[in-house]
Amino acid sequence: MRAACATLLVLATVGCAPVPSGAGGGPPARVVSLAPSLTEIVWALGAGERLVGVCAQCDYPPAVAALPRVGGYLAPSVEAVIGVRPDLVVVVPSPGNREAVRALERVGVRVLVVHDRTLDDLRASVRALAGALGLTAAGERLVADVDHGLAAVHARVAGLPARRVLLVVGHSPLVVAGAGTLQDELLTIAGGTNVAADAGQAWPQVAPELVVARAPEVIVDAAMGTEAGGHDLFAGLTTVPAVRDGRVVALRGDALFRAGPRVVEAAEALVRAIHPEAGG
Amino acid sequence: MTRMRASYLTRRRLLATVVALLAALLVSIAATSLVGPVHASLRRALGPGGPSTPDYVIIVRTRLPRVLLGAVVGGSLSAAGAALQALLQNPLAEPHLLGVSSGAAVAGMVALIAGADPVSPLVPAAAFAGALGTMALVYLAARAHGRTTPHAILLVGVVCNAIAAAAIMLVNAIASYAQARGVLFWIMGALSTQSYALVALVAVYALAGLGWLVAHAQSLNLFAAGDEGAQQLGVDVEGARRSVFVAASLLVAAAVSVSGMIGFVGLIVPHLLRLVLGPDQRLLLPASFLGGAVFLVWADAAARTALGPAELPVGVVTALVGGPFFVFLLRRRLARTLP
Repeated sequence: MRAACATLLVLATVGCAPVPSGAGGGPPARVVSLAPSLTEIVWALGAGERLVGVCAQCDYPPAVAALPRVGGYLAPSVEAVIGVRPDLVVVVPSPGNREAVRALERVGVRVLVVHDRTLDDLRASVRALAGALGLTAAGERLVADVDHGLAAVHARVAGLPARRVLLVVGHSPLVVAGAGTLQDELLTIAGGTNVAADAGQAWPQVAPELVVARAPEVIVDAAMGTEAGGHDLFAGLTTVPAVRDGRVVALRGDALFRAGPRVVEAAEALVRAIHPEAGG
Repeated sequence: MTRMRASYLTRRRLLATVVALLAALLVSIAATSLVGPVHASLRRALGPGGPSTPDYVIIVRTRLPRVLLGAVVGGSLSAAGAALQALLQNPLAEPHLLGVSSGAAVAGMVALIAGADPVSPLVPAAAFAGALGTMALVYLAARAHGRTTPHAILLVGVVCNAIAAAAIMLVNAIASYAQARGVLFWIMGALSTQSYALVALVAVYALAGLGWLVAHAQSLNLFAAGDEGAQQLGVDVEGARRSVFVAASLLVAAAVSVSGMIGFVGLIVPHLLRLVLGPDQRLLLPASFLGGAVFLVWADAAARTALGPAELPVGVVTALVGGPFFVFLLRRRLARTLP
């Protein structure tokens, strides 16, 4: 039913605004990005001026604020996307946008689907986007920049013993970063060991008693959009080294949550939280 | 009919049942305080230098307050469910049906989006206010010429619930990812606190609400004869209905404001106990409170440990375990009563 509606809407829109075909020679000149991480990659590749639409959550770099919004990251609007007449749409797969992607492909819009969960995903998506935009060399340069940046961050903590770290992403319920996530990778690069790596899930919900048992030396509190009050959650856990030694560190900003060029910034912020003695 | 059944309830049977359930609750609290995703030794926690051991922090600061909160929330939802089923003369009535919970969730989420920290007391306070506000709205909207009917309360309640649920989805659609995360708590429910003060506060509301309900137990029994029948038997129908509605809402509001919408407790436990103990509200109300407390304490212990070290939402356990068990009991009863 939803698919049928989407198709009808699409057909109606196509009637008055023919969609240019990306196949007709030359790299795409009108690009829509449906994920914050991909918007950042397109911009870092130097193709920011080709963006003609972004998702509602796309907020970096600040210049994208001026671009038309074509719906949410999880639920893009097929009509709005077609309305800006793109010749390439880049998207991260999710259950919420699968129908929209199908509807776009059905009317002949070129859709590039890439993943954004890990550092390997980041390298692959930079190369795929660069290839599609005809900027292969810039793509290789960007991958090398990110790799060099991360290596430089790692070099700063190379001689230091790895600290046991818990990375908190939600307070109520208490949700932390597990193994297999971008955040787990960045935490390791920044000289930490994830104490929740064995929880068996990417984003496990855990009991506070697990925090006591795992006794992290540092708690990085990246529960987004919240203020310092989150520390109350851990204040009573006095045997936890991080609490005892005052190493419950709030980390603001969303660089840590996007497999984009700013992962280097995120790794640097993690080093400041985990190994403040490393300077920088 | 109701009179006759009620007469079977002797003071002795009431006392014996309540004492037995109370003992079961105390044992459950003690036992589940020793169960969790990590091992903690009670001996080490209470031994010399106890308070500085991780065992003490785990058992006394994180696990016991949570177990106690589970007991109070489970008891509140279950007693409110029993009262609402009698009040509305509807076996499907349960605490989250009348919009009180959704009202709490909407207010709690608005507080979150206005910038309140998820762990600050502001959020449950807002949720509590939201629950009471919704309750007043439902009652006033269902009233005409100074009177209400069970049907009107049920219909207005269900509609308010739908409106509030839509508001939750609306907030979810326009909020940022971080704020939308908070929706999870309200929809799935969770028990987590390290504050004995919070548990005590909720317990005060719970016990006040329960006492208020028990005081109207005989009127609730007579509601089974219908409004007119109850009136002929000397019940101030409108006054009793208002009192029970307010008391049940108080219980639900206090529970939901600290735990979100934990489903099935308020539906399954009262029915289960009614199958076992009979329908007399003088016994069923306190028994439902204690039984609901025992049920949720164990369900939460399972939620803590089943996937260890990760947790399951407790509502998943209450529905997955409680649902089939309830159907089993119901079928046994049907096999016995139907020819």
